[in-house]
Amino acid sequence: MWTSQQPGEPPDRRPPAGMSHGRGNVAAPSPPVRLRASGITKRFGRREVLSGVNLEVHAGEVAAVVGANGAGKSTFLKICAGLISPNSGQVEVQGSIGYCPQAGGTFDFLRPDEHFILFGRGNGLKRDVARSRGREMAAGLGWSPDPKVQARHLSGGTRQKLNVILAVLGGHDILLLDEPYQGFDRGTYTDFWEVIWRLRDTGRTIVVITHMLNAMDRVDQVLDLTPTGSERNR
Amino acid sequence: MTKVLTVAEMVLRDLARRRTVLGMLFLLPLAFYAARHDQTGQAIRFASLGLGWGASTAGLFSGNSAKTVEPRLRLVGYSSLALLIGRLASLLLVSWAIAGAYFLLIYFDQDIRRPGALALMLMLTALIAVPLGMLIGALVPRDLEGTLLLIGLVGVQMAVDPAKSSSKYLPFWSSREIGTYVVDNVDSGYLTRGLQHGLGMAVGMIVLTGVLTVVRLRRRKHLQSIRQPVAAAMR
Ligand SMILES: Nc1ncnc2c1ncn2[C@@H]1O[C@H](COP(=O)(O)OP(=O)(O)OP(=O)(O)O)[C@@H](O)[C@H]1O
Ligand SMILES: [Mg+2]
Repeated sequence: MWTSQQPGEPPDRRPPAGMSHGRGNVAAPSPPVRLRASGITKRFGRREVLSGVNLEVHAGEVAAVVGANGAGKSTFLKICAGLISPNSGQVEVQGSIGYCPQAGGTFDFLRPDEHFILFGRGNGLKRDVARSRGREMAAGLGWSPDPKVQARHLSGGTRQKLNVILAVLGGHDILLLDEPYQGFDRGTYTDFWEVIWRLRDTGRTIVVITHMLNAMDRVDQVLDLTPTGSERNR
Repeated sequence: MTKVLTVAEMVLRDLARRRTVLGMLFLLPLAFYAARHDQTGQAIRFASLGLGWGASTAGLFSGNSAKTVEPRLRLVGYSSLALLIGRLASLLLVSWAIAGAYFLLIYFDQDIRRPGALALMLMLTALIAVPLGMLIGALVPRDLEGTLLLIGLVGVQMAVDPAKSSSKYLPFWSSREIGTYVVDNVDSGYLTRGLQHGLGMAVGMIVLTGVLTVVRLRRRKHLQSIRQPVAAAMR
């Protein structure tokens, strides 16, 4: 067994939203829950990857999901996005979901602009709005897409920028980001978190899977999926 | 509707950049056609089969290449059917363009009794082939399995005696019926039977692919909306 809580933190006493951030609405009644996963258990064959995981994130909060390789982070996020079913437990959401997968998620032969249009149109954005919004976000991550380059020719980190932008482009209420900054350089890493903080301040709910602990002190809560004791290093 | 068009547009752009693939799709029926060039009836049927196999392979790989992205597209607001129909429409467009080219080639190269029926036969073949490829893609997890299945079907379709009644269960049975009508002096029953069979096949496979796609891309039922936006109700 392992706990779904942050190590050292007693169950069910997570800090209320926004406590340490001095945002304007602290005094107001706690913001609404946007994502609530309860009792999530997932088995692959006979192996239990997640057992009884709980997570509750409010509007305007960032939650980090950490854990060793194979701990079940991506699986948990996919369950939250409704892409795969858990063996038990349920997820309740309020609002639309933007999801950035750990790998894949783009079309090799399409250009960045075409991705912006395709994903933007899904959210009902006009072509030019989608394109300019995508380019704007790219600029925010220090990237100005070459209009002719295809996704398969993008560098690893740049492709990941595209991936993140596609998750955020539609202005979803809940953002589920699976190791979004793999391969980001130092500057982009900082830019990325700036983007995240800005989104949080506009009331978005963000769940980020991460291995980089230095951003941890600024997130609102941490969900550690690392198995304890004998279950480690499976 | 705009969503279907957007999907269709992106599938076309994707395909248009794979020049080698397009080239091979155009050339494949030619190889089949050339192999039986001396017998008009056979040449036409083999060109049609070549077109069919090319188009279904394209359908299979195109469908599979989108499998990792489609769940994301669902989340951003595309319906499963918009994704399916957009892809189908684009692939059909390309396949019909190839069919058009072969219609012209055969029309000028062979002694054809009923050119209208020839056009119909080629278009129908494409209309069966694309859903066939997409259906196989929806049935199996990956390209390799799909390719093996498709090759199996090709082999059986080629090898089986078309006069046998069991050959009716094969997807391209109609091309022999209509093919006969194109070159020989036979009654229009050949055309009607062929059309019925081909259209039935196409519609059936599209519906089946639709069902499989909707199931694959369904929102899992553990995911629900919060009715009470207030946190207090928890625990
Ligand atoms: N479809 C599947 N079938 C079988 N096992 C699976 C499947 N998907 C994931 N697993 C297993 O579940 C475990 C958790 O996988 P998951 O991808 O969630 O890990 P993770 O925490 O995201 O790891 P990483 O840090 O490497 O990304 C792994 O041991 C993996 O092998
Ligand atoms: Mg992972």
